[in-house]
Amino acid sequence: MNEGEQTGLATMRDCWITGGATFDLAPTAWKTIAGGASPDEQERRLLAIAAQALDVALRPAAPKTLKRRPLLPKLALPMLPERLRPLLRAALKHAIDARRKTRVVTLVASRGFVLHPMDWMPAASDQNSPDVYAPWIDWQASVDGERRAPQERLTAENWDEFYPAARRIVLADMRHSEPASARMLIEAKASGEPAEVRLALVELMRFGLGAEDAPFLKSLSADRSGKVRELADRLLARLGEYGRSNDGGPDDPAAELAAFISEGKSGFIRRRNIYTPAKLKSPAQEPRRAELFEICNLGDLAARFDTTESEFLGAWQFGADNNADILIARMVAASGSDAAVTHMADALVADGGKPALFALHLTPRLDGRRKRTLVRLILKQANYLGAINLAEGLDAGWVAWDDLSNGSALSALRSAVAGNDEAMRRGADDILETIGFLATATTAVKLIDEVVAAGMPPAAPSLGLLRLNAALAEHQPRTDT
Amino acid sequence: MEFDLKTIEALAPDQASLSAASKLTKRSNWPRLEKNEQQALIWGECQGSGSNPYRVVVDTGDHGYKCTCPSRKFPCKHTLALMWIAATAPASFAAAESTPEWVNDWLGRRRRTTPPPAQSTPGAAAKSIDEATRTDESAAVEDLAAVERREAAQRKRAEDTRQAVSAALDELDQWIADQLRLGLSGFVAASSDRCRRIAARLVDMKATALAGRIDEIPSRLMALRSEERPDAAIRELGKLVLLAKAWRSAPDDPELKRLISTSETREQVLANPDARQVESFWEVLGEKIESRRDGLVSHSTWLLDLKSTTPQFAVLLDYFPASAGRRSNAFAPGDRFDARLVFYPSRKPLRALVAERMGEVMSGAWPDFTFDAAKDPLATHASHQDAAPWTTDCPLMLPAGAVLVDDRGTGWWQAADDPQGIALPIAGAVNQTLLGLDLTATAALWDGARLDLLAAQSGFGRLDLS
Repeated sequence: MNEGEQTGLATMRDCWITGGATFDLAPTAWKTIAGGASPDEQERRLLAIAAQALDVALRPAAPKTLKRRPLLPKLALPMLPERLRPLLRAALKHAIDARRKTRVVTLVASRGFVLHPMDWMPAASDQNSPDVYAPWIDWQASVDGERRAPQERLTAENWDEFYPAARRIVLADMRHSEPASARMLIEAKASGEPAEVRLALVELMRFGLGAEDAPFLKSLSADRSGKVRELADRLLARLGEYGRSNDGGPDDPAAELAAFISEGKSGFIRRRNIYTPAKLKSPAQEPRRAELFEICNLGDLAARFDTTESEFLGAWQFGADNNADILIARMVAASGSDAAVTHMADALVADGGKPALFALHLTPRLDGRRKRTLVRLILKQANYLGAINLAEGLDAGWVAWDDLSNGSALSALRSAVAGNDEAMRRGADDILETIGFLATATTAVKLIDEVVAAGMPPAAPSLGLLRLNAALAEHQPRTDT
Repeated sequence: MEFDLKTIEALAPDQASLSAASKLTKRSNWPRLEKNEQQALIWGECQGSGSNPYRVVVDTGDHGYKCTCPSRKFPCKHTLALMWIAATAPASFAAAESTPEWVNDWLGRRRRTTPPPAQSTPGAAAKSIDEATRTDESAAVEDLAAVERREAAQRKRAEDTRQAVSAALDELDQWIADQLRLGLSGFVAASSDRCRRIAARLVDMKATALAGRIDEIPSRLMALRSEERPDAAIRELGKLVLLAKAWRSAPDDPELKRLISTSETREQVLANPDARQVESFWEVLGEKIESRRDGLVSHSTWLLDLKSTTPQFAVLLDYFPASAGRRSNAFAPGDRFDARLVFYPSRKPLRALVAERMGEVMSGAWPDFTFDAAKDPLATHASHQDAAPWTTDCPLMLPAGAVLVDDRGTGWWQAADDPQGIALPIAGAVNQTLLGLDLTATAALWDGARLDLLAAQSGFGRLDLS
């Protein structure tokens, strides 16, 4: 299309937009084609020519401000084989929240694969995905594509060249390998960051937390953010450093919380202290008690009763008040010393029964061995099988067939699947999804067979993760333990 | 009364409608049947399953009609039954001096046209009032005379359809001229109502496929930015002009008949010796599922020929009522299979049927296609427009490139080796991850304004983008 035609087309277009005849405005060559007809027909012919000119001769003009993002980095593990992607997408689709999706991702990573970026992509704020995805989290964080996380080591000098998410990943890694260096970096740079970022940085101190971190954490008692001060207090409490801010007076939260707990004696020959949740006088006391459990430290509470953390927990009467039991378990997870956490977990698991389930709230602080013991206990008892979904930070792919078949878990699942109780079936769906993450590939295959034989449709979405688990073994048979 | 059974037969959309109408011709179904001979109108109320009867009115002069039932078939069985009663038992209608309010409303809304004397569709051979009323016992062996009569009737119906469509295109021409006279800004603003009205007229006059296309113009315009809509309106209306002209010059051309009135049946396409057949390995590039204003859902499955050295595409097209819910898909994006496809005859054959499916094919990368030497990503589109300028969507295989975004967040595809060259805007929101991927080849549909991405190959393997 020549310049004259382009000008003519533009004029005709303006005329048509407002309405009217354009024949006189048309380029000469177009007039020749359109001429010799009724006025309406002339306009239609010109319209046809204009349509083709717009369609073929004119090309879209791209703005000069088109932005290109850096290429997505390749990850250290191979991509999930193409033929497994439909299974993966089905499992991801069935995983209703980010936590469950992370489990799918973690299972795949445990078998030595990463996901296709169009199937799943971690968020810039993701803190739970396997480490292999760190380059993608960095990529997500570099929103404008101009700055990139440098490959060199994080230092105080290049601190600003890292995005918060990238820094978080690097610092978390450093806290595992060289905690002192990471602490010094956080100490040097955190004060210049906004409260939200500061909180996230201090939260990293939980990795490799040790006595040498105490001075820095104590210095945070003057932090501008209340949340940062509370977090630092809890971390200090885990180190046995508590009671600094409590005056023991009537306004002391630990004293207020202690009033919710009755101290008594037990045993005829060897009298020993016991601690029982006091009966609440009004429903309004319930939220206040919950709030106090959240803001107080275990050490401060134990000190109110002149006892140690472990002794206090040993004397706590589990089973008297379900809510209080959950609250104290969360308190221990947040502020208990490592010794208190393991003591409580071991004692609960050893006792078995329903109280053992309170140990689930401790899973973020438990080592892999204790987590596995806890899960095996739940599978064996099967009375509270659904509680398995509460466990956090579990490793993927280790539940063996014996773990399932020796207890009552398998028969409970079979009955739920075969029965007519809709709530039981939904519960079974959730458990199957969790076991899909925990199971070895062999277990996954056998479990699918069992529940299908019990009446579950073979294509049921709740079997998605089990199917993916089983299929992954075809590529990585040696990972099956 | 100007009805005869042949006319009703020609008007009926299918044999099932005739059969259903025959069961409604009992007088007891019609608590009210009236006529006004001065105005050439008959109307009635037919008791259906609901509490209120359906109201049906028919203009005996031009065979226009209206029924309050929710049927998607036009004319519906109630309309056909009313006509049928008028043809076979005209005495059933009581003479009325005035017309009821609802008939007046309809008269006020409709536009009169040159009455098509009788209408039929090419596929009407399969239906007849005889068939609708015939019992199994009455099925007689056809003799030569009957065959001759039927063929003559077919010819007559084809001619009638041609005349009806011709009249429809006259109306369309006038309507387009009206839009230009009134201004395209007004057309863009009121495109929904205006297109609906002309589409309804075209359905009345057997230009069903064209009506469906016009019905979709508003949504195509609304998918664009407001400043782009006038140009898009020029393109859409200009292509209609070209299509109408092409049909007038070759009304028997199968492609044009398909685009204007009705499509061939599957059997007709498979039996057509001129239909192109391709046996190859095919990959499902992607699907497009769109709800249309006429209550149908169109389901397009785009395929790529994996044995061809140049990018060759096929589309499997299916329509079903939206009320039927989502159908399970025969193919999933990424599926590969060995099959013989038969293409609907056209200048640039795309629509196809799977005539024979031989089995599955292993997944893998796409072939190394030869791209246009001039590096024009729209060369295929230009070639399609040269051959069939009325077409809208054209499948493209784009060479190595990347997706970028502008200030407004719109995605653009740009060739990797030509960052200063042409960039094509992408329809809809772009997945942010796509911005970080290198695309070694991309399959997409180009509608003259936007790329609708189907699938791509990248350093991370195949990408499903539809």
